[in-house]
Amino acid sequence: MIGSSFHCEVQIMISSTSVWQRTKQVTLSLPVQVALLTSLCALIIWTLYFSTYPPVHDALHTTRHGTAAVACH
Amino acid sequence: MRNLKYVGLALAASLVSVFLWFNPLPSPASQPTVQVQTEPALSQVIPDEASVRVALQAVDPMGQPLSDVRFQLQLLTPAKTPWFTSDFPIVEGTKLLELNAKAPSGKLEFEQVMPIRGNYMLKAQVTPLVAGAFEPFEQSLKLSVPERFVKYRNAAILIGILILVGGVSGWIIGGDQTVQDGEIAPQPIRLLLSAVTVLAIAVLLFVNISAELASAHAREETQTTTTLSVQRSQDLEIRLSGDQRATVGRLASQTIQIFNAKTGNPEVNVIVNAKSIALEDNKQMFAYQGSTDDQGKLTWNEQFFDGAPHQVIAEVTPPNGVALQVSHEVEVERIEPPLYIRFISLSYYTGIFALSLLAGIWFHRRSSRSSILFSR
Repeated sequence: MIGSSFHCEVQIMISSTSVWQRTKQVTLSLPVQVALLTSLCALIIWTLYFSTYPPVHDALHTTRHGTAAVACH
Repeated sequence: MRNLKYVGLALAASLVSVFLWFNPLPSPASQPTVQVQTEPALSQVIPDEASVRVALQAVDPMGQPLSDVRFQLQLLTPAKTPWFTSDFPIVEGTKLLELNAKAPSGKLEFEQVMPIRGNYMLKAQVTPLVAGAFEPFEQSLKLSVPERFVKYRNAAILIGILILVGGVSGWIIGGDQTVQDGEIAPQPIRLLLSAVTVLAIAVLLFVNISAELASAHAREETQTTTTLSVQRSQDLEIRLSGDQRATVGRLASQTIQIFNAKTGNPEVNVIVNAKSIALEDNKQMFAYQGSTDDQGKLTWNEQFFDGAPHQVIAEVTPPNGVALQVSHEVEVERIEPPLYIRFISLSYYTGIFALSLLAGIWFHRRSSRSSILFSR
């Protein structure tokens, strides 16, 4: 009985360690790094050139009108 | 010998055909036409910058000016281009102006700011003021407006920055990816991701702070004086009526009506100078000099494409009197560009960054592989 509970605890520890290892591997793997950088870049471009929130739009109004393929209003 | 003659004839015929192809004979026009002139020339027009003076002249088949003409004009904006949007996508594929005007000399002039690049269509219906003077006719004229150079320059600068940042980032994350104990990612990559996050925060801060400052200025500038839309002198009474609320993408109607102040009868053939001014930059968007019709009216429909307040002004100078001016303000509702158009453009710029990033990774790995091979 004692032996089986010990076996169970060890199995949980091993599986949680492997999940942690896998999470660590995936969290900042190369595809995730690429996706993170691209998303941050898209967020910056969207904020500067495409947001319709009026104060943001007004602050960069001339820049938007002066850049090709950017719809202002 | 006979064959040679045929070959010579065929050769001569081909030469004549080629010559005519490149230099077609001037064919005499079989019907009256409308000739259009612009100032500045269309190739030098800068969209959304300064107004363009458009002069139309109706001429008979012999090229002589027609007199006592009525023009019905429609100016249509270039077709919709979602794949390479202009800065006013709501304006694309709409009517910019509608004018119904008498032209005793056969000439009509107006000034209009062209909002975007592309091919405008000017549809002119020409009818005689005296019935039967000539056959009414219609003509469509194409006005090609080039894009502003500064837009390409700014886009090139933005693309350059994206390629540079993407390439350098790719070079960094394309390097050694071995993770040390207790690390979630190699140090250079952590530094890179932190730097880009800080940059994103800085951009958001800059935008929000400058937005606060810009809105404070805008509040000071929007104080404008309002004037009466009815003016009266000893001889004349001028009334300005029409839409005082307009929407971008739709025409708004404006009418000037002139009466005799004593008799109350409409005043015919009075010259009116009409114009609309965008109040944000105090810029003239449209101007037209026309004369009143049999009911003492002058009507035109214009689109206020810049989603900001405008002032419509009409001025009349009686032969023996002081100039009278009427004006009213038009509130213009702007419409935000459709989301899908903005996503298309965002995907172009983000795509350039992503490609540069992948190129940076590829170049680093390739150079590392070749340096290992050389070291062997």
